[in-house]
Amino acid sequence: MSTQQEVFEIISKQAKIDISTITAESTLKDLGVASLDAIEVIFDIEEHFNINLPNEDTDFEAGTVGHLVAAVDRQLAQKPAKG
Amino acid sequence: MRRIVITGQGAICALGHNAADVWRAMTEGRSGIGPIRRVDANQLRNNAAIAAEIADFEPRAFIDEARLPFLDPLSQYALVAANEAIRQSGLSFRNERASRTAVVVGVGVAGEETREGLYQKLYAEQCGRFHPLGIVRIMSNAPPSQISMAHGITGPTFTVASACASSNHAIAQAALMMRAGMIDAAIVGGAEACITLGLLRAWEAMRVLAPDTCRPFSINRRGLVLGEGAAMFVLETLESAQARGAAILGELAGFGMSADAGDIAAPSEIGAAAAMTAALQDAGMQPSEIDYINAHGTGTAANDCTETRAIHKVFGEHARRLAISSTKPMHGHALGAGGALELIATLGALRTGIVPPTLNYLGPDPACDLDYVPHEARAMSVRAALSNSFAFGGLNAVVAVRQAP
Repeated sequence: MSTQQEVFEIISKQAKIDISTITAESTLKDLGVASLDAIEVIFDIEEHFNINLPNEDTDFEAGTVGHLVAAVDRQLAQKPAKG
Repeated sequence: MRRIVITGQGAICALGHNAADVWRAMTEGRSGIGPIRRVDANQLRNNAAIAAEIADFEPRAFIDEARLPFLDPLSQYALVAANEAIRQSGLSFRNERASRTAVVVGVGVAGEETREGLYQKLYAEQCGRFHPLGIVRIMSNAPPSQISMAHGITGPTFTVASACASSNHAIAQAALMMRAGMIDAAIVGGAEACITLGLLRAWEAMRVLAPDTCRPFSINRRGLVLGEGAAMFVLETLESAQARGAAILGELAGFGMSADAGDIAAPSEIGAAAAMTAALQDAGMQPSEIDYINAHGTGTAANDCTETRAIHKVFGEHARRLAISSTKPMHGHALGAGGALELIATLGALRTGIVPPTLNYLGPDPACDLDYVPHEARAMSVRAALSNSFAFGGLNAVVAVRQAP
């Protein structure tokens, strides 16, 4: 499964919204995910991929889901390969 | 209605260990924020983590050695500030005054250093033996209890907990008991000792801690910075203060409280405005009588623009004539002690005609379009002022003060 698909699924599950409404261009705010719900989505993504997303990559107002997916990929690329 | 005045103040925070030093630092625009010393920063996400910690504090210099084993830093700070405030007021609590005086203290969390120390032993070190004084150090009512014990005060004594609005709610509770004629004096304020690894990690997880510094109302502000400490005040009736010939620092003119009944974390301009309006009404003041607002001004994106909208809503055209500042870049966000430390700033502005500045301001945010007294203190006459506190949980408490009658 692609990172994008996994991130979409986490958002859909946590925010209880239909996955087909999520696009790479939507912001969490557009999707009605605000305040602590957005923080929880980020937390679920971090737990799922076992990464830490810096605050700079988690702008809920202007940052899109696509930005979030790219940030996850950046963190995954930095993770040491499992031996 | 009985008029209530403030005849003593005491404080300890990153800016100093007494109210005079704290106030001087505020007028000089000094910041107590620096790299965290008490916690291993490698255990934090941002390993250049910052806080406004109290430095070079030697409790033995302030507190009876026999009492210290019972005290988490939370209660140590509370006692240091209360002792100073009571000393300044000149009040003693013998005879009937003891039972006619209250102690009401705002505390946002509790004795966290003690709690985390015990849990470290229990969960990490699997050590079965707990120190027997854990409970009496941790309990959130320890600060008012210790103040009552140290000074022989036997009237209503309790803690008020409403997160970052605790101090202002505490001041209001004591003042209401005074107005009702139940008591004649009160020791009020707030205390917090929250720079612990567990709490820092929990705040970090909410993504509200600034990585650089605290920049209220500024463009590119990135969040709050935690602080710690305590501030305490002696409240008494105007009649009593005048009869004793006591020096009056200011009048506690009124207070307003509200709940947003909305989001658990996101602030609301409606709730904030309701508390400010209620404080003005309670004080019998018009918006135009206020010259200064010590803002909640945490430096988070959400608080500062919401607070600005609320001030516009309450003050209309007068909003642009107000001097507004947040002193949190100096003493940090001290949660339950925040309102009390900020009352030191607000009373200082009334007494001396100096408004403390908002530090670290990089330039205007279009959503924050008022006069925030950036960078440097301003000399101006302050007839009356508000001090705002807005807490997580949507709980708001605003205190109104005016110059000594």
